[in-house]
Amino acid sequence: MNNVTVVESWIEAPLKQFVLDADAELALLLHPSGQVLAQHGFARAVDVMSACALAAGIHASAGELGKLLDGRPFRGLHHVGRARQIFLAEALWPRGSYIFLTVFGPESSLGIVRLYFDELVAALVAAAPLEATPATPALAEHFERDLNRNLAVLFGRA
Amino acid sequence: MATPFASMLDGLTRQRGVTAALVVSERDGIVVDSNLQIGQDGDRVAALAASLYRKARLSARAAGMGAVSFMQLEAPGGRICAVGGGALVLIVVAESAVNVGLVRVELLKAIEGLSAAGGDA
Repeated sequence: MNNVTVVESWIEAPLKQFVLDADAELALLLHPSGQVLAQHGFARAVDVMSACALAAGIHASAGELGKLLDGRPFRGLHHVGRARQIFLAEALWPRGSYIFLTVFGPESSLGIVRLYFDELVAALVAAAPLEATPATPALAEHFERDLNRNLAVLFGRA
Repeated sequence: MATPFASMLDGLTRQRGVTAALVVSERDGIVVDSNLQIGQDGDRVAALAASLYRKARLSARAAGMGAVSFMQLEAPGGRICAVGGGALVLIVVAESAVNVGLVRVELLKAIEGLSAAGGDA
């Protein structure tokens, strides 16, 4: 099943291709503030909300840890679980920086996911509309409203 | 710094028609060590060939055929050969005209060294 849902339509084709190629069970594209842009494999809005908050937190922590240890933020994280693995990485393109989280099982591998993640970023850069406004920092006063709006779009309640 | 696989990879890439040799983690598809020519994308070959080998191994087992000893992929532009040793896969990229028999013998010989160097982990 390839049930990708997106907030902005140009993200859909590259993300669908990634899910297909990398055999990803779950995929999530979000703004570093935690605002969701696209998802695959999640059944409930609350799960997306939790995953976004955790991914944004992990990304921020890893970034700071990287700066402390290596003078620059860590841009990728891989965690191996008993049955599934997580890959979390920063996707950079002209509109700014985004976070990509994917969960994959034994049918795939880290090498495959990294390979198709690079292709996903290239495809998103190519597909991004030129006239789009650059990504702006989320304001606390609008955060919940924007999050709820995006979740409503993803889960067909808009 | 030379890795435990360097001399084995050198031996493989010295074979006529062999253009690349890689030691790859079977589960992750990540390069452990490699001998590549300029312009070859080792990460891409490693990820895809290790995935192919893993699936071939699982398919053979599901079909009750036992362990895969040698895998060969033939394409118009060349060949990919692979043998597994525990957690590692030894992959060779070669030209179409390569002596596959010789490459197979060298790979099977090398896999013994691979297992001794930690491939059975």
